[in-house]
Parts: sequence; C-alpha cells; structure tokens
Amino acid sequence: MPLARVDLESLLRTHRLDRTLTTALPPLDPRDEAACAPSGVPSLDAPLGGGFPRGQLSEVVGPRSSGRTSIMLQTAAAATGRGELVALVDALDMFDVESAAAAGVDLDRLLWIRGHVVSNPGLCRDTNQRALEQAIRAFTLVLQAGNFGLVIFDAAEAPAEAIRRLPFTTWLRLQRMVEGSQTMCLLVGGEPMARSSAGLTLRLRPHGIRDWGLGIRFGQSLFEGLTVEARVVRARVREREEATAAFSTVVSDCA
Amino acid sequence: MPDLANPSNPQSLTPNPSTHPLYACLYLPPGSDQPASSSSTLIDIAQQFSPRYERHRDDVVSVDVSGLERLLGPGRVIGEELRREATARGVRLHVAIAGTRMAALLLALARPGLTIVEPGGEAEALAPIAVGILATLNSQVSTFSAERSELSLETLQRWGLRTLGELTSLPAADLVARFGRPAMTWQAIARGEDIGPLVPTLESERFESSLDLEWPIEGLEPLSFVLTRLLEPLSTRLERRDRGAAVLHILLRLVTRDASGTGWEEHARRLQLPTPMRDVRTLRTLALLDLESHPPASAIDRVRIVIDPTPGRVLQHTLFARAQPTPEQLSTLVARLGALLGQDRFGAPALVDTYRPGAFAMAAFKTDHDESNRSRLRAEGASASLAEARGQRSRAEAGERGDRRENIFSALSADSAVNCFEQQAPSPQPLVSSALRRCRYPVPARVVVAEGRPVRVTTDRRGFAGGAVTCCAGPWRTSGDWWAGLAGAGQAGQAGQAGRAGRETPEVRSVPPVQPIPPIQPLWNRDEWDVALNDGAVYRIFQDRVTDAWFIDAIVD
Repeated sequence: MPLARVDLESLLRTHRLDRTLTTALPPLDPRDEAACAPSGVPSLDAPLGGGFPRGQLSEVVGPRSSGRTSIMLQTAAAATGRGELVALVDALDMFDVESAAAAGVDLDRLLWIRGHVVSNPGLCRDTNQRALEQAIRAFTLVLQAGNFGLVIFDAAEAPAEAIRRLPFTTWLRLQRMVEGSQTMCLLVGGEPMARSSAGLTLRLRPHGIRDWGLGIRFGQSLFEGLTVEARVVRARVREREEATAAFSTVVSDCA
Repeated sequence: MPDLANPSNPQSLTPNPSTHPLYACLYLPPGSDQPASSSSTLIDIAQQFSPRYERHRDDVVSVDVSGLERLLGPGRVIGEELRREATARGVRLHVAIAGTRMAALLLALARPGLTIVEPGGEAEALAPIAVGILATLNSQVSTFSAERSELSLETLQRWGLRTLGELTSLPAADLVARFGRPAMTWQAIARGEDIGPLVPTLESERFESSLDLEWPIEGLEPLSFVLTRLLEPLSTRLERRDRGAAVLHILLRLVTRDASGTGWEEHARRLQLPTPMRDVRTLRTLALLDLESHPPASAIDRVRIVIDPTPGRVLQHTLFARAQPTPEQLSTLVARLGALLGQDRFGAPALVDTYRPGAFAMAAFKTDHDESNRSRLRAEGASASLAEARGQRSRAEAGERGDRRENIFSALSADSAVNCFEQQAPSPQPLVSSALRRCRYPVPARVVVAEGRPVRVTTDRRGFAGGAVTCCAGPWRTSGDWWAGLAGAGQAGQAGQAGRAGRETPEVRSVPPVQPIPPIQPLWNRDEWDVALNDGAVYRIFQDRVTDAWFIDAIVD
C-alpha cells in the first residue's frame, strides 16, 4: 500500500527529518500520534484530545484509591504495546509487578527505578525527602538519556510537604529537558506538582453512583473495583475546558 | 630486433616474474612423527616468507609468494627454502609452487616432496592426478564444496574417468547439461584455475594502548583526559576493522608498592559492555562511572587500556520504527543509575512463579531492543502500524464527533460536560485493570474485629490515619513455602480459598498493640481482607496467622 502523504509527514516528524524539507510541514494535528500518547483508555483519550501530549509534563493527581495507579499502568501498557520504552521512577518503591502484568505492561520494556525506603521511617521526615531528591536525580538521568516513549515519576504516596520542599526550579528544569522531545512525562501524585504550559492535569476522584457514595464497588464477598471520575484541566487559557470522563477499574485474578 | 627472451621487455614471451602471480602451498601429511604443534608451525613458516597467506585447514596453508623471485630467485629456489625452513623446525612438508593457488594446492595434496610448475603449465601438471583428489577438498579448502555434492565422483568413475585430465577433456556443454553449472567449476578446478582470490588470514589484532605519565595523577578529572587520548586511536582502529568493544579493561599502575614489595600495585577494572560499542565518549563515560564507584587507592602513573573486540553491530535504520534510546545511551544511563542508586535498585521487573503476594524479581534492563522491535514490526507489518495510526486518528475523530452510544461521558465540551455528567446514567465503560500499590514493608496496624470481620483499622504510621471500615471482603487465606522448614510454620496452607472469617470468637476484640515489622521470611500464612475505610481509601490488609498481627499490605488505587 503506498504511503499517504500525511503518514509520510508523520514519520518524518517522528525522526526529526522534517527540517530537511524545503517546504514547511503543516502544524501537527493534536490527535496525531506524534503529538499525543494515547492512554489506552478510549473513554479518557477523547477528553484528553487523543492522549497525553508528548514533550510535556502532565499530571495524574487524586486522593488515595482514586485510580491513579490504574491509569498510570494502563498508559504504560499502551506505550509498551506501541513498542516504546517506558521508565518508571518509583520514588517510594510501591510498584506492584503483578498489577502491571495484569494491565498488559510489557515488563521487558519497562525500566523500573526503585527509590530507597526504610522499613519504619517513624517521625523522620528527612527520609522521605532524601528518597524524593534521589528520585528526582534519577528522573533527570532518564530524561537526559532521551527517546523513552513514556517516563513516569510516581510520588503518589509522598507527603505533600516533602513535594513542596523541592525547589520550584526543579520542575522548570525538567520541563525544559523534555520540551521538543517525543517523550511523554507523567507525574503521579496526590496534589498537582508541576505541569508545563502545554501539559495537562488529570484530576481523579472516586465517582459516586447510587448505592456506593464513594464509587467503590464490592460484590457479595469480593472487591470488584473502583468507578472513577476524571476531570481534565489544561493550562492554556483558550483551551481551558474542563472535560470529564468516567471509567471503571476491574480487579483481575491476581489482584 | 627486440629481445623476446628478456623478461623485462614488454614484448617478451617469457612471463615476467615480477608481474606473474606465484603461489606456494604447504601441506603437512599425517604422520606419527610430526610434532603436535605442527599446525602453528605451518603458519610460522608461511609468515617467514610472506604476509599474505591463507590457512585452509590445520594442515594446509597457501602462501602468495609473488615477487619473492626478486629476493630469492626462481620458484625452485623458493620451494627449497620453504622445505629447508620446515626441516629446521622439525616437520616434513609437501611443497608445491605454481602460478595459481588451486594448482599449488592440488599438487601439494597429491605429490610428496617439492613440486614446481611453471606458470602456464598448471593444467598439464594436474592432468595425471587422480580425480579422487577432489574428494579431499572440504569446505575449508574449496569454496565450492557445497556444489560438489551435485557432481558425483562415483558417476565420473563409472564413466571411466580416472584423472583430472580426462575430466577437463570432456565437453563442457554436455557436462553442464547433465550436472548443471557446478560442473564448470569442477572442470576449472581440474585445470588448476583459481575460482576465487586468496583471502589472507589475519593475525588476531590486539587492541591495546598505554601511556606512562610524567607525574602521577589523582582524581577522575585528569584521568578523563588520559582516557580520551588512549581511547580515540583504539576507536579508530575498531572502526577500520568493523569491530566493537565487548570488554573494556582498565589497568592503572599506582605509585604504591604491591604486597610483595617488588612491583607496583595495579588497579584493574573490567567492564563487560552490554553491546559492542566504539564511541569514545560512551566508553570514557562508562569507565569513569565505574572508577567513581571503585576508585584507585593512590595516585596513578601509568594507564593502560585493553579492548576485547567483537564484530560490530549491523544496524539498518528504518523510517517505520519509532526512535528509541541507542544501546550506548541506555548503557550510559544504566551505569549512571548504578552509581546513583546501586545496582540492585533498578532493572526490568519480572514475575515470579509463586503465590506469594507481592513477589517479584529484577532482571537486567536490556540495552538493545532492536531485535525485538524488528520482530514486532515483522509481525505487525509496516502497513499495519500505519493503519493503526490512521485508525487511532479516526477513532479520536469518531470519539470527538460523538460515538455517544458507546461512551456518553467522552469528548464533551465545557458547555455540556458537567450537565451531562449529572444527568446521564453510567453506560458500560471500557474496563481498566485495578492496580495495587504495595507497601514493601507491610505497615503494622491495629484492627478491631467484630463478628469475625474488621470494623476499624488504625496505624501509627504517618500518612495511614485509618478509620472505620465501611465495607470489606474476605478473608482470603493464603500460605506457602511452609516446607522451607522454619520453626513455627505449623499449619498447612491453602492458597487463595474463600472461607469463613478467621476469628472464631463472636465478640468484639481488639488486637494487642502494634507488632514490630515482621522480618522477611520465606514462608507466609495469612488471611487477607480488602477493606474500604470511611476516608475513601481501599486497602488490602492481612492478619498473620502465626503471630496474629495485622498489617496493611497494599493500597488499591
């Protein structure tokens, strides 16, 4: 089948050969795969505009048990399914391998970087802070290596005060590193941490339905999953539309 | 009148020894009196006479002696010199000198002693040789042995052919009609014609470079300049040979004496590279990162680098594969992460064949995904990936235009999002696998149990405030590795069975104060519960059936 012009342009952009052309290419369609990385959840990709934008810092935030990890793993599964390499900077070493395998993540394509966590931190706040700083350094190294399809910084269970104590220039520096690349950066946390100008924030919360006010589904003797509402927040004023979506998580056999 | 007998005369009828090729073949016949190291002796003899030689087998070597006549004399003198050299080394050789490599080879195999054939007389010299000599040529000697099977020597012998001369006298067209094109090759061999060029056997080249420093250096920064200076010529040589570095040896001679007191202490590091590479910056970075983790004890006054070469990687770039980190970039990243976190804190996760909750293994992260990408592309087809890209775009477009039957909450503008969210009932949603966040060290918890079910969960850990249980599911009893033989394992375990609540007593009871973190034990025996607390969090908790202690094992998120 001959290549369509739009496909050829997409391939040239992907390999950064478009600068060799004598005529300028049209601007990227936001729905183009080169511009966005689909999350793997069709109901979520639509309000996201095709997926999370590449070359930007985006966030998935929400309280505990709001589906952050499920979305994170689904996005990683979609990325590895496309043949991309994924790096996960697990600041507090809470990644569950079985959950990732159940979500469809190709584990061979996942670089898992585990933060140092002590068995009983007690009242020592510095332990979490050191773990976060080390995780930021590892995150920086991964971005410097470049060409990862998806890089995730998972600080979902880090105390908010530890996140706030990080210098604000940290996020500016990371944004600059990822700009213009094909890497999609995802920050997972309890609160918004940082988001680049063209990135977006996905706020999750358990979705209340009828019988269960908190969107948590229990069957007869089995926990069945969560029902989550996702709200998309964009930074750009002209696109400040708070689109929402809902999805359900289902417990697989291993969970 | 021109002197036609003068070889230097361009019109001379006598072949000019300086322009006509001349080959020698050395054959070591089998014999009990030949020394064990004869095969290497052949190479040594050949190297004495010419740098261009080809080792066919351990007992057969062809040497290009073209031009040696100007130094030693005619072919007979060269042959005698070869035999004299062999005798001095204690071996007896068959030596043949001819104008073609193939003729010299066949003559050395067929005739003992020294055989000299003037250039141009190869076919005549080979004619009396038995046709069965072709069977002695194996794949290492003849590049056409693969075709030999198509030309049956038995058939030739049934025809009454006994010698190579009789084979060459057959009409080529008829022979080809019966046996195909390989017959022409065999006739050419029988005439002593060279089918292919001599492929010189190269000595194993050593990629090594060293530098003695005028004054000792300390620290990695000055060492970085020295490493660059040593690696650059090595990289160039590797590139010329189409080789990459498989192992990098760094040998640093220190200024302190070694244990014996007679020599200098040496700090040696060996880097096994994940993929063949020859980029100077990458090699230097990897070396420095390794030395950063394993620094020398004192100042350095000599630096030596040795590279174990390996064939270079063959890369074929394609427009259809997404750009990925190169093996060099990944190797550098892996080295940097190792220096930052330690070698055991990163890698590719792997599942373990066990029912132990949260079990996992760490494998080394591959630095070369080219092969898996290629196989993936072959499986899918480049057109399929383009079709997928088109399909995603069309799905996104369809979602935007409103495939509203399928998902009423998707792709809504700000005008309608909130209203729709409030008004519409949830329709069947695409399923997302529920994930857990594991507490690598389970958090000790206090659990209040009523009627065999947990009703309240609290902890002393910051960030795990706990609360009343709004809903729960369980218990799920799981155990294993009790056969590991630890004392107190006690009860046999059954994995993953739903059963009654673990506690027999119906009254409300509280668990004793928080137990210390359990040490990592090979066996486990627990009752697991999924509990939802009133703060909206869902946890997986378990009660250890040996100690009766409760722990938070994971967070459902």
